Amino acid sequence: MSTVETVLPAAVRNGVRDLVLVLADSKRLLGMRYAEWMLGAPELEASIACSSMAQDEWGHARLLYALLRDFGEDVQHVEHGREAEDYCNMEALDRAPESWPGLVALNALVDTALTTQLHALRDSSYAPLRQRVGKLLEEERFHGAHAAAWIKRLARSGPQARAAMAAALQELLPGVLRWFGPDSPRTSLAAAAVVDAEGDALRARFIERVRPLFEEVGLTAVVPAPDFNGFDEARRRCTRTGPDAETLVRVRGDKNRAFLMD
Amino acid sequence: MVYEVFARKNRGEPLRHIGNLNAPDDDLARVYAYNTYDEEKWFDMWVVPRDRLLEVFNRGDGEPSAPEARKDAQRGAAAATSGA
Repeated sequence: MSTVETVLPAAVRNGVRDLVLVLADSKRLLGMRYAEWMLGAPELEASIACSSMAQDEWGHARLLYALLRDFGEDVQHVEHGREAEDYCNMEALDRAPESWPGLVALNALVDTALTTQLHALRDSSYAPLRQRVGKLLEEERFHGAHAAAWIKRLARSGPQARAAMAAALQELLPGVLRWFGPDSPRTSLAAAAVVDAEGDALRARFIERVRPLFEEVGLTAVVPAPDFNGFDEARRRCTRTGPDAETLVRVRGDKNRAFLMD
Repeated sequence: MVYEVFARKNRGEPLRHIGNLNAPDDDLARVYAYNTYDEEKWFDMWVVPRDRLLEVFNRGDGEPSAPEARKDAQRGAAAATSGA
């Protein structure tokens, strides 16, 4: 009997596996988005910051994927063998941002959303995640600080940069808000004490964290009510597709397939 | 702006100068210091703008204790003179 069967009630087992995969895929993709700016960020120190955040996210993804073994998943296949529509990453990560403000917006909203979700697992009834989440949150501390410092800098460096930053944040917000899912999910992980909040409660925590960033660029964060039409609760996405073709090749490591070892 | 970075391994030890970085403001200086120098496990880490380091005295003659700071000051003075 696997560890998961002994600790998780059958009713929430799939829900927990889905959550782990959603987090792992999102962190793997977010790490890739950071890594794309290791060269070409506005200054050398920002490139180093991107490299450092990429390492953090990839480390977290690795750790999360490994948990899937307890659910009977073939982790090698999960990491290297899936098609785009099997990925459960946040939709905002499907394609690369085209500009530095776009990357900062991912840093500010996507990274913070993932961290908000991790926070909700600090006292989880699912012990393997509870035991690891503290270390992950510790490493996330400066990701939010990086986003906040850059938004402040761009907001104060002139109307053009401020407008570009505001537009990038506004574009991502609705999708990220929806990502937290409906208030009454089909499988309630809160009811099984896997998380201490979900749906609207989690969304409210997220909004509290990011509100000052919107104010910095002159937006009074009017929070749109999420539209859950077509929302797949397992993948936490509305679109059936996944990462774009270029992203998929890189994230699966297709070109490195010959070098894979157990 | 150049910031100098200080850290110590354990509580109670003296602060050590571990490097410097370029940042436009204090907030980014903190973030960049963490990203750049946190490979080791430090007890605490501090940044200070280089121009806020005040020389108390300097016994070296042509061998300043803070060579980069001195060089910057000299460059500044030279620029001011040539501009005049």
